[in-house]
Amino acid sequence: MKLKPATLRTFTNLHSWVGLVAGFALFVAFYAGAITVFQPDVQRWANPQVMPSTATLADAQQLLDEVLAQHPEAREHVGMTFPGYELAQPMAYWQDSDGTWLFASPGHTAGSTAAPGVAPLPELINELHYALGIPQVGTWLMGVVSLLYGVALVSGFVIHLPRLAKDLFALRPGRNLKRFWQDTHNVIGVLSLPFHVMFAVTGAALCLLLVAMLALNPLIYEGKLMVASAAAMNTAPTVAKAGVAAPLAPLAAWHARSIAVAREHGDAAFQPGYLKLAHAGDAHAVVEITGSSPHALGGGSVALDAVSGEVLATQLPGSRDANHATLAAAYALHFADYGGAAVRWLYFLLGLGGAFLFYSGNLLWIESRRKRRQAEQGRAQLGMARATVGICIGVCVAISAAFVAAQLLPMRGWDVVAGQRWVCFVSWALCALWAARRAPVKAARELLWLAAIVTALVPVAHGIATGWWLWRSAAAGHGALFAIDAGALAMAFAFASLARAVARRARRDQPNSVWSSTAA
Amino acid sequence: MWARASAGVLPGFFLAAALVGLGCWLPPGAWQSTIVVGLLAFFPVWIGVICAAFRFPSGKRAWGWLSVLALLGLSLLWLLQLSGWVR
Repeated sequence: MKLKPATLRTFTNLHSWVGLVAGFALFVAFYAGAITVFQPDVQRWANPQVMPSTATLADAQQLLDEVLAQHPEAREHVGMTFPGYELAQPMAYWQDSDGTWLFASPGHTAGSTAAPGVAPLPELINELHYALGIPQVGTWLMGVVSLLYGVALVSGFVIHLPRLAKDLFALRPGRNLKRFWQDTHNVIGVLSLPFHVMFAVTGAALCLLLVAMLALNPLIYEGKLMVASAAAMNTAPTVAKAGVAAPLAPLAAWHARSIAVAREHGDAAFQPGYLKLAHAGDAHAVVEITGSSPHALGGGSVALDAVSGEVLATQLPGSRDANHATLAAAYALHFADYGGAAVRWLYFLLGLGGAFLFYSGNLLWIESRRKRRQAEQGRAQLGMARATVGICIGVCVAISAAFVAAQLLPMRGWDVVAGQRWVCFVSWALCALWAARRAPVKAARELLWLAAIVTALVPVAHGIATGWWLWRSAAAGHGALFAIDAGALAMAFAFASLARAVARRARRDQPNSVWSSTAA
Repeated sequence: MWARASAGVLPGFFLAAALVGLGCWLPPGAWQSTIVVGLLAFFPVWIGVICAAFRFPSGKRAWGWLSVLALLGLSLLWLLQLSGWVR
């Protein structure tokens, strides 16, 4: 396929622009996203409770009864996770009269805005992933970033397509650094393209779905979308209250019924995960149980009459309609909710690879604008080098610092929720400031060593705070605790190796470059 | 560059909406069954239109063509919806 030179130029410019604008945000999204794949394990690692045993359905029943008795708003609509779904204890959640979400767990039924007994570290990493940690507008911002990302993917594909066959696996390390960055950027980009397309689309949808629905509702749906979307995305039908009181059937009965119904629909491995209960105490109470099946893409749901146990509706793998199958598949694909541990590790690697893609893209931009015949480089290139080093390596330092803080803060009784946010954002800012004042190559080496040290401190902090040193966790068979600590050590080693590679480059010193040790 | 970019983003949004709308309503069957697919597909279609805007030689051409196509597309969709020829 031949591309006109003008078209190639246009699309190369477009790719560079959107890549630069969105690249930093995407680095954070992919690095934090990679870590968030292992959210349940990070939760177990960060939770100060020593390995709580999984609660029983009876505990869940008691929690539900207490929450419904104490909180009238919960009787309208309440959600609850079953024990063992992400957390060992069941967790109930509902909205109070001004829309604030409240949480309750066994022994903590008064309702609090922070989920009791849940370590806040995974949620911080998640917020970095989908909103850069920015409250309220952060999600919308990341939606826009996802759209820019989509444009970068299409334009990148267009400019690369003519050379696809020839250059696909060409990896040419050597003195021509630009070609080396370009080759690695291209190889990783091409190999992970299907996943990146999926992330761009599902990411944009997750961030912007409501906005899109509001805009498209009058344009193409004759104003009928909002009403119709309830049926399209929920399983339980919207039912009006009867105004007649009726007792709820036991939780265990709903649990068993949902599994039986799923089996009738050909899904023998249905595992209930969480429920949504509407109109509790009324004769028209409805409970919708959502669960997962190991061999399906995306979970299914069973909606029951909460009083009689009669089946009202189902959306199960193999018998779902197009809307529910697509929605479930989109969620499963984005959140690696399929295929077990192998897929999670794949997504982790894709996350790190993706982060590398955006880092190398910036470096490529710098290299292609290098003034080879003079020492002094352009201010834009210098600024880009400093920003890339400070922001990207900085977020790695910041996240590791948050992990350390998550272990050490509770030891002094300090507020972990606020404390780890402070540690994260302040350390990030300090790294960026450091890079702004140093020659980029020196800052890169120093910040990479800092990342190596802070990340190596993660298992140390864990051992000091809880006594669960790496080797004790391994001996006791606590997989999650060991894996996070060992993973941190591996990452620390990787940062150290990168720091040494950068030091080597600085010593070889390409004089006419932003990466020269005298660049200022 | 900016002119073509804005053409892709602004009238391009409406063109993408028209394309998704026609895609949801034209095929046989109730439109409600295409809700999730349509909403998801909207994003890549819009991204595609934004990229296509750069194939025009100038911002004026891009604005012109994309606006006209958007108007035509939406008008066609509304005509079909109002006349009851699609469900």
